Amino acid sequence: MISTTTDSPFADQNGHSHARESFFRKYLWTYDHKMIGLQYFWTALFFLFIGGALALAVRYQLAMPGSVVPVIGRFLPQTIAVDGAIIPGGYNMLVTMHATIMVFFVVMPILIGAFGNFLIPLQIGAGDMAFPLLNELSYWLYVVSGFVILGAFFAPGGAPGTGWTAYAPLSAVASYNGTQVGQSLWGIAIFINGLSSIAGATNYVTTIVNLRAPGMSMFRMPLTVWSLFVTAILLIFAVPVLSAAAAMLFADLNLGTSFFKPAEGGQPLLWQHLFWFFGHPEVYIMILPAMGLTSEIIPVFSRKPIFGYKAMVYAMMAIGGLGFVVWGHHMFVSGMNLTLSAAFSLSTMVIAVPSAIKTFNWLGTVWRGSLEFTTPMCFALAFVSMFVIGGLSGIFMASTPVDLFVHHTYFIVAHIHYVLFGGSIFSVFAAIYFWFPKMFGRMLNESLGKLHFLLTFIFFNLTFFPMHNLGLGGMMRRIADPMVYQHLRQLQPLNQICTIGAMGLGLTMFVFLWNVIYSLRKGPKAPANPWHANTLEWTVPSPPGHGNFEKTPTVYHGAYEYSVPGIVEDYLPQNVPAPEHARLESH
Amino acid sequence: MSTAVLTHESPSHSGASPATCKFGMIIFLLSEGMLFSGLIAGYFVLRWAAVGFPWQPGAAWPSDPSLPHLPVFLTSINTIFLVSSSFTFHFGEVAVQKGKSGLWWLALTILLGATFVGIQAVEWMHLYHEGLWFNKGGIYGSSFFVITGFHGLHVFIGVLLITWCFLRQLLTRCFTPQRHPALANVALYWHFVDVVWIFLFVLLYWI
Repeated sequence: MISTTTDSPFADQNGHSHARESFFRKYLWTYDHKMIGLQYFWTALFFLFIGGALALAVRYQLAMPGSVVPVIGRFLPQTIAVDGAIIPGGYNMLVTMHATIMVFFVVMPILIGAFGNFLIPLQIGAGDMAFPLLNELSYWLYVVSGFVILGAFFAPGGAPGTGWTAYAPLSAVASYNGTQVGQSLWGIAIFINGLSSIAGATNYVTTIVNLRAPGMSMFRMPLTVWSLFVTAILLIFAVPVLSAAAAMLFADLNLGTSFFKPAEGGQPLLWQHLFWFFGHPEVYIMILPAMGLTSEIIPVFSRKPIFGYKAMVYAMMAIGGLGFVVWGHHMFVSGMNLTLSAAFSLSTMVIAVPSAIKTFNWLGTVWRGSLEFTTPMCFALAFVSMFVIGGLSGIFMASTPVDLFVHHTYFIVAHIHYVLFGGSIFSVFAAIYFWFPKMFGRMLNESLGKLHFLLTFIFFNLTFFPMHNLGLGGMMRRIADPMVYQHLRQLQPLNQICTIGAMGLGLTMFVFLWNVIYSLRKGPKAPANPWHANTLEWTVPSPPGHGNFEKTPTVYHGAYEYSVPGIVEDYLPQNVPAPEHARLESH
Repeated sequence: MSTAVLTHESPSHSGASPATCKFGMIIFLLSEGMLFSGLIAGYFVLRWAAVGFPWQPGAAWPSDPSLPHLPVFLTSINTIFLVSSSFTFHFGEVAVQKGKSGLWWLALTILLGATFVGIQAVEWMHLYHEGLWFNKGGIYGSSFFVITGFHGLHVFIGVLLITWCFLRQLLTRCFTPQRHPALANVALYWHFVDVVWIFLFVLLYWI
């Protein structure tokens, strides 16, 4: 039933040719999309640990304001912590760097860089990306921007402390933010990171449009590819606007221009508009691939076709399109025109419709399926439920009158983490457990995986759920010491609960890390198709050889033909024609 | 052991087809278009907030009459140079499609492009001495120099790219009537930079 490539000598043959490649050509400067995906994967994981450590320092400070931070306190620069105790300005730096690193150096690279690179050519039946050199260039631009952003820690005056949104005039006037070099490095890092994103996105769109295997029509593509396609288009149109804004910010700081300086005729609101014109599509850039990966995993472990394939595609397009006309909902408190606020409120609430379509379709897929609760499935289902919580709290913020009250509180911190951690990162874990066998040729340990899932799920909710209460209780975000405020003292136990949860999350990551290290060396060898899935990457050996497919596959139907009536097996890979009498979902 | 040969036209082995390269270039240029859109939108916001819409009374720009005016005449000539360089590049491409070398047309394009950058540099120096610079003349100076700077950088990179095409053609005659993706893509980029300039010229110098 499965394609014959499974037991061909193809992999070994290419294994030999790989062995002859130098270390440099194989791991550092490679044109193979799979290895570039892995480069992104490891680099983003490295940044995940850095961003996580920063978050733990933030949480420690909020639970025990002003006390010496254990373990990492000694490593923090003088601008952040004096004798291991975090100072208020340093707290701002930690928050800023945590958010910047998590958004630009963890979630985007791992979702789009790692899984995008690894999966797109494999799932559409191509040998590689359209422009392999551009692909590798995109990775190294990402690495360079990573060095620049980490370099900001060592700048005179320290890292930028203006939040990941870098609102002007605080960010644009050196005497306000106190770190001209740090803030400039932030701008440079964002600019270079943007170049990397644009290079990658150009490659993805071109590859998906031009290099699909025969028979792989657009509406037979797996939803992962669709999600990355829509994401890449969002990147193409949104990222350059941030690049322009970052360049203007850099010029304000270093060339004496006055774009965002009100004293010289500039407009601080202009920064907010430019930033959020990028920033809101960015939110969907970080969630759409997560939705795509989840849409792949849920049908496989429900042994059912995805519910409403085309509706899923159109919903993603709708989310992507609407994403460009809602940016103003981040600015309700900026004093903008109220009629405009109402328009942005409305357009934002409309996004609930395609999001709900997706959610109900996932539920429809699970409904009466024969569920297998493997680790990837657990994470994928957790993604759906956490995304619902994060989505619902988003509706509160979409409504201007409510937003005016909760905007600068921990309610919004809870919301962002429910969609970005509970959403994106949960689906990243789901995808890692699901595609690890294909990436490395070894299975991850299920028991450790389950433990990792359970602890992550518990500690995640322990960390972020109380933040809703903190926010509604009046706790402002971006404050270094809640104990300074009379009305927040009674909420301090909640802050400590959040911190306990965060510490737990941090420690849980080591369960995951141990699982990865252990499984890479001792894990059972992965068969070509361990999950009995339909998409093309499972028709080639694990890991796939150079050039992916021995022979260009021909695609006969959509990717979600599970439990088709009239077929003995409960799955039907895309490159296997269906028998005459089978009743397929797709055509 | 079978001698499995890759039959797939995978780009890692044979390079992307010219049509694919062109598609990629267009996608990239869309992105570049958004970069300039961001800059131009910023310019509008700053200017309208400062003096109102151009058709409103009293919307003189710059608002401070002591600031130097932009040399519209010189830049009009410069614009003619840049626009004609797009035509010469196109004729070069047509020549290559007809099986000729197209080297003279490319050389002329490089000359016109370099002239544009040169005159732009002279104009910058002139304005600097008149008292308009990144940090002088408020948002008027800021937006003019950052926007024309970004565009000038694009033209400069374009000139380098055309020079690269010229040298490749001169030394290896690599562009054939059937296959000249590098030349076609640099041409696309050059036309794009040209069109952006027409917008910038109208917005910054005329209105």
